[in-house]
Amino acid sequence: MTRYVMVIDQRRCIGCHSCTVACRTWNELPLDIVYNPVVTEGIKGEWPNVHRNWVPTLCMHCEKPACVPVCPTGASQQDEDGTVWIDYDKCMACLACVNACPYGMRDQSKLQPVLHRFVRKCTFCRDRRAMDPTADPYCVQTCHQKARIFGDLDDPNSEVSKLIGSVETTRLMEDLGTEPQIYYIPDLGGKA
Amino acid sequence: MTEIDIHADGVEMVKSLCYFCHANCGVLAYVKDGDVIKIEGDPDYSNQSGLCCRGTSALLHLNHPARINHALKRVGEKGEGKWEQIDYDQAIQEVADRLNQIKAESGAEAVASAGGTTRTDDWARRRFLNQFGTPNGFHNALLCWIPTFMAETCVAGWSPFETDLGGARCLILWGMNPGASTLGGMHGYTDLHMNGMKIIVVDPRYSETACKADLWLPLRPGSDGALALAMMNVIINEGLCDYQFINTWCSDFQELASHVAAYTPEWAAPLTWLEPDQIRTAARMYATNTPGCIQWGCTWDQLGKASTTASHAIAILRALTGNLDVPGGDGMPGPAMNFLTDEELELNELLPEEQKAKQISRFKLTSWPGYTLISQTAKRTWGKTLPTEWFCEAHGPSVFKAILTGDPYQVRALICNATNPVNSYGDSKMTLAALKACEFLVVVDYWMTPTALFADYVFPAAGALERPTIVTHYGATDSLMGGSRAIQPKYDRHTDMTFWRKLGLACGQDPANWPWETEEEAYFNLMQGLGLPISCYDDFVTYFRMYYPPLHQRKFEANGGFWTPSGKVELNSTIMRELGFPGMPTYMGCSESEFETPELVEEYPIVLTTGGGFMPYHHSEHFQMQGIRYLYPDPYFSINPKLAEELGIEYGDWCWIETRRGRIKMRANVEPEVDPRVVFAPRGWWFPERDGSADLNNPFGCLESNVNVLTSVDVEDCDPMGGSWANRGLMCKVYKCTELDHEYKPEDTQFSMPGSSSEPGITVKPSDQKLARELIPFEKPQPEIEVPEGFSWCWQNNALYQDGTNFRLDESGWLINPRTKGYHDAYTGWRYDAATELLVDDESGKKYDMQRNEVPFLAGVRGYPGAEVAPYEHPEHLRWNVEAGYAMLPDKPYVFDPNSGWMLDPENGAYHDAYYGYLYDSATGTLLDENTGNRFTMSYEPVVE
Repeated sequence: MTRYVMVIDQRRCIGCHSCTVACRTWNELPLDIVYNPVVTEGIKGEWPNVHRNWVPTLCMHCEKPACVPVCPTGASQQDEDGTVWIDYDKCMACLACVNACPYGMRDQSKLQPVLHRFVRKCTFCRDRRAMDPTADPYCVQTCHQKARIFGDLDDPNSEVSKLIGSVETTRLMEDLGTEPQIYYIPDLGGKA
Repeated sequence: MTEIDIHADGVEMVKSLCYFCHANCGVLAYVKDGDVIKIEGDPDYSNQSGLCCRGTSALLHLNHPARINHALKRVGEKGEGKWEQIDYDQAIQEVADRLNQIKAESGAEAVASAGGTTRTDDWARRRFLNQFGTPNGFHNALLCWIPTFMAETCVAGWSPFETDLGGARCLILWGMNPGASTLGGMHGYTDLHMNGMKIIVVDPRYSETACKADLWLPLRPGSDGALALAMMNVIINEGLCDYQFINTWCSDFQELASHVAAYTPEWAAPLTWLEPDQIRTAARMYATNTPGCIQWGCTWDQLGKASTTASHAIAILRALTGNLDVPGGDGMPGPAMNFLTDEELELNELLPEEQKAKQISRFKLTSWPGYTLISQTAKRTWGKTLPTEWFCEAHGPSVFKAILTGDPYQVRALICNATNPVNSYGDSKMTLAALKACEFLVVVDYWMTPTALFADYVFPAAGALERPTIVTHYGATDSLMGGSRAIQPKYDRHTDMTFWRKLGLACGQDPANWPWETEEEAYFNLMQGLGLPISCYDDFVTYFRMYYPPLHQRKFEANGGFWTPSGKVELNSTIMRELGFPGMPTYMGCSESEFETPELVEEYPIVLTTGGGFMPYHHSEHFQMQGIRYLYPDPYFSINPKLAEELGIEYGDWCWIETRRGRIKMRANVEPEVDPRVVFAPRGWWFPERDGSADLNNPFGCLESNVNVLTSVDVEDCDPMGGSWANRGLMCKVYKCTELDHEYKPEDTQFSMPGSSSEPGITVKPSDQKLARELIPFEKPQPEIEVPEGFSWCWQNNALYQDGTNFRLDESGWLINPRTKGYHDAYTGWRYDAATELLVDDESGKKYDMQRNEVPFLAGVRGYPGAEVAPYEHPEHLRWNVEAGYAMLPDKPYVFDPNSGWMLDPENGAYHDAYYGYLYDSATGTLLDENTGNRFTMSYEPVVE
């Protein structure tokens, strides 16, 4: 089996937002849709003893996604490899999934409601994998810092398996039980 | 909703280079039907498929509706925004005619040119300017590397800028924030950091890079020179120097040690706001973790008065620790030896001496006087030199003042290529006034900028994907990187080289000086010397993509010295002294500070720092592109919560930042990112979304949030050596915009007049202003030996150099070529070839014996004409031809080669046997009798077909 996950190494992230812009250009997104915002936590502490962190986000491609069962048309669905995506031919933009997603990671464009009628979200670049099965999502490929790492968690030799097995990782809002598949390696302020 | 298959049939992948900053990351462009449909980062390039916000936006840039696509001629008043779209070549001819007219009336020096960053084939611009005859080309180079490069070259003979990080144990990122400026580099630093390399960051701001450092020194903005001097003091006083290196390769160490004795950490502490122990820790970390690197940072060139003092001190830090040109240290590439450097493409020899003297700059290190000394040394030691673009330029702000004041003379025309000086040069309101006043302004750009708005002609520039790219690092290194043109320029856009070439030809310049129609041809010509198996430039990109010579380190050992006049690392620089500067870094403070101008601090108590790069913009570029502008829509300055609370400022509030030169407004980013005594303001802001012509006092809002309104370019505020002006360490005050006082007013930016900004309203002629430090008279020693005609004496090493070639006259009486270390005849210049023991004239290819008699060669075989007998053994039946000097067959013109035993045909070099003169056929290994067509084996058995 294949189970796609992403590891985000916050020790390496420098908050350049390149992933966000890259995603926007690859997917030709309208201005009000962002699939993968980088959240700047802001600088903590008192000068000069300060620390800061960035939290790059995207659809968590949850193992138990809240957005899939609520879809009345079956447009919101999950592949066997864990990828959660939307079949635009079936989407009627009822926004049930948008309300269900606890991470706020899907939305409908208000700027271009005709062209982008349907709800949109990150697909782990399913289109790129359809062209080339080994292709990384565009945000992963574009990250200068290699802070985003994509791979198959069921493959023990993949980089993501090795990282998750060796370094302490956290996930966002784990208590909700959706089993998000984005793993964060936190920057605790020590050495990168 | 498009899902484009980049692997589909008919989609071609072109290896291109990104062009939105000069990191020049590798880009793969997917081209279909002559248009780019997608791009990706190149995984096989140094960026390892990474692209930043700017890079990934290349398609937005290529097809942006606001791009200028045709040549525009002004039809309304200046700034009115009324244009007529005309044919590109017609516009070129009209501009050329006007430039020629100005030249005829006022001299070529009345035409000046401002350039952008190193992305515009600047050698082509200089080629134009040199042929035209004006010395007044310039860039913003004085804020970016050039004064540092020149100071470092004075110390050690070249800038040690190529860090060999793989072997480094410590890296200082000094006034440099790769986390927001060169992301490709940041990736490497992060990897090495994870592998144990120490990183020290010197930055008053808690930058993207500082937050990953082992040691972060949040110094007072502008005090970098004091920090460097104090670190030097610690390294010398605590005995952390590399004494073996110093004793062998450096001069004047004792003098330096006494010179910096007073610069203790305790002396520097109040100036830098650092604890003495922080300075000691940094010095120890750097000096005990060798080899190590100091990465150059823009800050050094933006300290104003103290700029070159700081970079001079830092240059010496590297030498004291033995980090120069060693594995793991700061590599000194030197000029490219095996391909043409930018300098060799500039035609500098065409600019007359009297025109050089008219260059508008009082700052000797970075203009003709300093360049001449540095370049002469480079030619004598490396055999090649630096380009005059960047390294020998007019002082930009002084040119703008000359437009306004006619001092030292009237500059009448300005050609701006890829630059928007209102935003990128200091004292914006003066610069804007100059652009408005300029009699004839020509702009080449992608966009309608505040500068282009006042132009008489605007030419559309081709962008990253529309042109091939070559990266030669300002012509200052020995490596190359290249990218192909993904598509031909759209609309009537043209590349920069095309613009200069067309303009040159239209001005009547010799077509022989513009032999290449395209960049591809020019670049291919440039790399002929590499001897690569390629037949065009695109081949180079496809098969090689980059060229790096084998990493030669410790070149100074092979060379027998460093590339300075004395051959030593000059801790007390002779070139600097000859130019009238202190030979050792001598502390100089900021133009404004609590120490230098305490009276000013009462009104302007906060230290302003600016000029640093920030994502997603580059200089004053990219504000048009909504796809990245949404990340950073308004200008935000950083202010510590403590100070914000005192001033009643909250996050997002619009505030005025005011210096005695004017005020600008920005929104507050309240965060402990800077010291409570400091604010950090981003550079470059203007608002392309506005109607530029609506307010000609503030077109496109270019004075409203532009920090350069706050800077000064007065001569006395500039670095007396390099001419840099200060972006770091200015004194300001900050207050909230109130309801009655939140709109931009012209008065906000009319505080200063050209000439003096310290006493508002008083106009002083720029040439009457004093330099920040008076020049120290230097008397050049007189020759101790007789100087033969055609030679010059170098006072530093008491050696003679031949004029023109710059070969050194050795004690043996031979000339020595610095590039090849080969010996040349002192009278003729012919090269001594040790293999044949002959002199070779490389121009004609002719060879001579030691008596300088020509030695004939036929088919590579030396002849001995006049010799009575052959000087070598040959088959008895051959006849010695006394007249020709060869052993020959009686009836054939072939000459006998004593080395191979064959007869060679002088016509074509073909081999013939020495008995019958049969032709050797290498395909069959047989001998052919050309008269009969019969073939024979090598033992003369007939070959039966």
